[in-house]
Amino acid sequence: MTAVVEVEQLRKSYGAVERLHGISFEVHAGEILGFLGVNGAGKTTTIEILEGYRSRDGGRVSVLGTDPAKATREWRNRIGLVLQECELDPVYTVNETVTMFARYFRRPTDIPATIGAVGLTEKADDRVGRLSGGQKRRLDVALGLVGDPEVLFLDEPTTGLDPVARREMWSMIEGLRLAGKTIFLTTHYMDEAQHLADRIIILRAGEIAAQGTAEKLSEALGYHTEVTFETRRGVEVRELHGALGVDVRVDGPLVSFRTQQVQADLKALLDWAQARGVELTNLQAVRPTLDDVFVQLAGDGGVDTSHG
Amino acid sequence: MEEWTRVMGDAGLAIAQTRFALRGFLRHSSAFVFTVVFPVILLLLFNAIFKGTTKFNGLNAAEATYYTASIVSYEIMLVSFGSLLVRVTTAREQGLLKRFRGTPMPSWVYLFSEIGRTVVVVCSTVALLVAVGTLFYHVQLSGHLLIGLVVYLVLGVTCFSALALALASFCATADSASAIGPLSATILAFLSGVFIPTSIMPTWLIDLGKVFPLEHMARGLQMAFLVPGSTGLTGVNLGVLVAWGVLGLVVAVPTFRWESRVGL
Repeated sequence: MTAVVEVEQLRKSYGAVERLHGISFEVHAGEILGFLGVNGAGKTTTIEILEGYRSRDGGRVSVLGTDPAKATREWRNRIGLVLQECELDPVYTVNETVTMFARYFRRPTDIPATIGAVGLTEKADDRVGRLSGGQKRRLDVALGLVGDPEVLFLDEPTTGLDPVARREMWSMIEGLRLAGKTIFLTTHYMDEAQHLADRIIILRAGEIAAQGTAEKLSEALGYHTEVTFETRRGVEVRELHGALGVDVRVDGPLVSFRTQQVQADLKALLDWAQARGVELTNLQAVRPTLDDVFVQLAGDGGVDTSHG
Repeated sequence: MEEWTRVMGDAGLAIAQTRFALRGFLRHSSAFVFTVVFPVILLLLFNAIFKGTTKFNGLNAAEATYYTASIVSYEIMLVSFGSLLVRVTTAREQGLLKRFRGTPMPSWVYLFSEIGRTVVVVCSTVALLVAVGTLFYHVQLSGHLLIGLVVYLVLGVTCFSALALALASFCATADSASAIGPLSATILAFLSGVFIPTSIMPTWLIDLGKVFPLEHMARGLQMAFLVPGSTGLTGVNLGVLVAWGVLGLVVAVPTFRWESRVGL
């Protein structure tokens, strides 16, 4: 696989505070890389260095074979940017805005097709000021796509959107994946990364805490299915522990344990309940989302929220 | 050949960007009212309030003609300085400048479009003011007047645009710029004998006004409008405008910011 983005030992300080402590990763052609972290982890600092907006203090960075610190016009013709906080003049229509941006690029895409790709065909003649938050954000994506870039940088595309608008954005990004775009996506939602990204990098306080596919991440963390149930009678924890051979947690009427052998342990649980005449209510076996992994990995580490 | 194609392409892009900016201007009704309608209202108002004659360089001059010249100079500063300052700082705060910076569009294209938009707005409004002046307020169109008008337009727009871009570097927010821009234009207008004739102003206030470029542009234009056979172009007036323009450029070029400082 060809690397579209290569980063080695990237360092960045603001004043005396080092924000990126020498991170290394690659983005391969045609993949969506989810770059995940809480506010202050260094996501925006990293993406802005890749986009050529910020200087770095150390390490090697290459995007499409060019050092973004030495961005040329030709290089800018090959990348697409969707910035985090960006407004557009509300008096222009969607079509006018996209058409104007298309002129900046040497090889622009077909404008109606691009407006269609972000699902704004029906809004093409509406003024930007009349769009909803989600529609505005999709227009931002259209402006990132209109130069037909080889790599698209999407900085927190769904932050601040309602759940419906988020889903619309997701299906739009999935459409881009089908079109074979290489996408560098930052987000602070694990479910978003899990849903969209081929590979995930979790950034914590300027360091890479974990990386890999969603499955690999959960495997590496020894991820277990959680079985929970309630009983009216208090459960003899020690007894259940003996029957199942796993640690059991009791929180009021709620009992839970984690297992990697769901079938065997559920059978053991049911046999035990049958034998003891215990009634299990609300019995559930849930394989949790990676959200817990993320909270566990990204949550600690003394991050503050003063930098994106 | 390829270089030539690229240059021609960029020139076309600069013109398209300017037309885009003008289309936006016509749709922002508040901007249109503030920079086109408001100066015309000022012209009508001042003429309604001060009816009669005033002293200008020892000559009796028609108030009406005097105010046409004054409001033309006020318009040049209002748009080239006030509006440009607000537009640039707002676009920076909205992240629009940063977004432009991330495209292959050369930086000069954006600046060209903003100044091109300023030139078109100023020239059309000045033409409107001169037309009103000619129809109602005894303005005599002459070759001398037109030469003076064109030179002061070019020099004034350049000088005040450079100052606006320079000051944009020091305005932290668009909010502060929207106060500083129109406010300084109005205060300078009072200091420079634009709203109130200098013949009834205390000397120290006139001297203070002479430090700034508006006084010299207003004075020169008043001469061109009022004194038959005069272009109003004097070495001092032109020199002060050029000096302030150069100062603006010297400050603007190294300090211009494409991103808001907030969040850095």
